[in-house]
Amino acid sequence: MCVLCAQMVNEIHWSERQLNPEWITRGAGETARRRSRRARIRLCSVVLGHYGLEVVDDWSATNYLLGDRKGNQRVLTSLAELWPAASRMAGATLDPLDDRLLDRLLETAGK
Amino acid sequence: MGARGRRLVTVLSGFLGSGKTTLLREYLRRYPGDDIVVIINEWGTVGLDHHLIRAVKEQPILLRGGCVCCVRLDDLVRTLREVLDLEQSGKLPAVRQVVIETSGLADPVPVLFTLTTDPILKHHFTATSVVVTLDAVNAVAQIAQQPEIHKQIIAADCVVITKSDLVSDEDVSGLRVSVRQFNPTARILVSCLGDACDALELTVEGENVQPLAIDQLPPIPHQEVQTATLGFSDTLDWPAFSVWLSMLLEARGPDILRIKGMLDIGEAGPLVLNTAQHIVHPPEHLSIWPQGSRKPYLVFITRGTDPARIARSLEAFQRAGGRGGLRVRCVDHDCGERA
Repeated sequence: MCVLCAQMVNEIHWSERQLNPEWITRGAGETARRRSRRARIRLCSVVLGHYGLEVVDDWSATNYLLGDRKGNQRVLTSLAELWPAASRMAGATLDPLDDRLLDRLLETAGK
Repeated sequence: MGARGRRLVTVLSGFLGSGKTTLLREYLRRYPGDDIVVIINEWGTVGLDHHLIRAVKEQPILLRGGCVCCVRLDDLVRTLREVLDLEQSGKLPAVRQVVIETSGLADPVPVLFTLTTDPILKHHFTATSVVVTLDAVNAVAQIAQQPEIHKQIIAADCVVITKSDLVSDEDVSGLRVSVRQFNPTARILVSCLGDACDALELTVEGENVQPLAIDQLPPIPHQEVQTATLGFSDTLDWPAFSVWLSMLLEARGPDILRIKGMLDIGEAGPLVLNTAQHIVHPPEHLSIWPQGSRKPYLVFITRGTDPARIARSLEAFQRAGGRGGLRVRCVDHDCGERA
């Protein structure tokens, strides 16, 4: 548990693992972790946008706030929670092999 | 203990009568000691395996009442927690290794699932390898008729071909090809009377993924699964890769049977990736490339999913993540070209 914000951190998701587990809580390691996290959120936002969803906020750089256009929101701790929650919110499975999604991603890359 | 203070677990699986216990018994004979905990499963009412292992004076904790993977996962949780309690209360010496021998019909993946998801076990145990025995005499017929064997081979980090003294060298070679049709990345050992029991020796986390020899890829994959080996024209963007992989496993987990490989994410060494269906072993960052060779690759074993679509998808995510010029190509047969 974080002594400052009282958040429970049960486990570090595999996507945020670094060479040394302690490294991510210190100085430059934390900077790198947040930079990597921002990059993930940028890409997630493009993907989620295809389904009318977005990452509304990134609380304390530990929790994703997922939202839709109706104002529904969910707080999620990791990518493992994000995708099933997004599928429920969108009412469809978010499939990374979906050709239309891939076209949109390639359009984004070309800009 | 592993690098993060967890007890290392070896999962031993294999079809009925394929020589699991012979291998285990020989391993325990060669490496006697009370720091190895053996957890075995008996299938049916006669605990034959249990009696065989007791003969070597080890202390197996028998799980009763069915298949360790599919029926009594709670028993596995309870047993491992008991091991932990005994060790931490000083009634058991420090545990160096836990060997879990599954029943012959079991899929090893639920064992991995249990170890990685139980809120207590995941902090104290880590599965470092899945060893699968394959009976050289009967394997061809069993592979044709028993889907359980397909799951076991696909989940394997190491396949031990047993009873090799009862078949010809050509038969063993043919079996190697059959194994590679399901799992191009598994290490294959040939054993007679358990003499390849070193397969059960502890491996360091991440060590089970080795540089890939392209010439060992099977000429034709098995008709039930698709295998594809992806190569990359540049370093991968890790944040984009993790977004893509987590999304892929959520959407297609049951059909993505296995992913294994070494990625170049711009660090000095590779990032070793190993997944079994929806279970992701924590990626390991190695400090150097094995054998000094920087050759990243990713092997996919899938069911009903075209590997070319996976390659296109990964490329699109990488490009959107900032790797604009990156190309992802299959380096084996399924995608129609070699790099």
